[in-house]
Amino acid sequence: MRTDGVHGHEAAADGPPEETLRDPVPNTRRHDGEPGEERFLRPFAVTAGDPGAHAVLGPEHAGVDMLSLVVAARVPGRHEWLRPEREAILDHALRARTVVELAAEVGLPVGQVRGIVAAMIADGSLQRCGPSRPLGRQDILHAVLAGLCSL
Amino acid sequence: MASADSETRPQEAIPQAVKIIIAGGFGAGKTTLVASVSEITPLSTEEVMTEASYGVDDIGGVEHKTTTTVALDFGRITINHDIVLYLFGTPGQNRFWFMWDELAEGALGAVVLADTRRLDTCFHAVDFFERRGVPFVVAVNRFEGSTVYREEEVREALDVSAEVPIVLADARERESCKEVLVELVTHVIRGRDPVMSG
Repeated sequence: MRTDGVHGHEAAADGPPEETLRDPVPNTRRHDGEPGEERFLRPFAVTAGDPGAHAVLGPEHAGVDMLSLVVAARVPGRHEWLRPEREAILDHALRARTVVELAAEVGLPVGQVRGIVAAMIADGSLQRCGPSRPLGRQDILHAVLAGLCSL
Repeated sequence: MASADSETRPQEAIPQAVKIIIAGGFGAGKTTLVASVSEITPLSTEEVMTEASYGVDDIGGVEHKTTTTVALDFGRITINHDIVLYLFGTPGQNRFWFMWDELAEGALGAVVLADTRRLDTCFHAVDFFERRGVPFVVAVNRFEGSTVYREEEVREALDVSAEVPIVLADARERESCKEVLVELVTHVIRGRDPVMSG
């Protein structure tokens, strides 16, 4: 039986905490050749100094949001060796993926990935894809309701 | 460069991505709820913000100020060939509200998870969704050892209108979480289509 005090930190006791506060450097470890070796890059370095690609906030970001779907429009090229983030994104976008899934998979903050994705759409590396069958809000709601009921 | 179109251009149907927000105070069980119904192990991404200057200064190019990283957890439910539903747990602390605006944009609706031992921690969420006009339900998460309150008591304490459904839930139980989501979507449909309310 837990006490209230323990419950107050329930998330920490049951698994990963719901919020983690860390120091500034984004975790780009997974792109590194050396396992366990962190690359210390500031966010603007990851976005190649492109101020447009660096916005970490705001849905005004070139119309690309967390749930925008993109797919690779080309294979990673030789010039990507200096930009492992782009290569990683291309690798993970062989099938249509949402921006937020790409962010989770390549281990970069979603705001940065959104910026990189916007730049990659602009240069033709990624293609944005809409749903095959665009549905109206009401149709979506009814379909979601039916889908949830049958879970 | 040779195009990889033939391999990468997907032939399969591309679904529409929609989302529901799971909000509530820190430790209310948001992550637990997402994990209970998600078809994948919840994924986590991060958002970085420049804390000292957000909302005050233009932060472009001034990256040496204090930055904060906040985790964002999400799960996924494939509804059918056309629709994939994402469940986003909101960062629980009030100072991360900058993320809520984007999360709320276009959301089908929201679940406010309430912990009756600390009801005040979800006041802000209720207030946020009311102001944004995002339809929501309140799910009272049953924690061991917490007093059981009646729906009216919770409604009065949270000061939510009579139309907002309040349901009891156990965030650890898949079936219970499913019922909460069904309640939410039913509520949203009812609000949009008065013919269905009766």
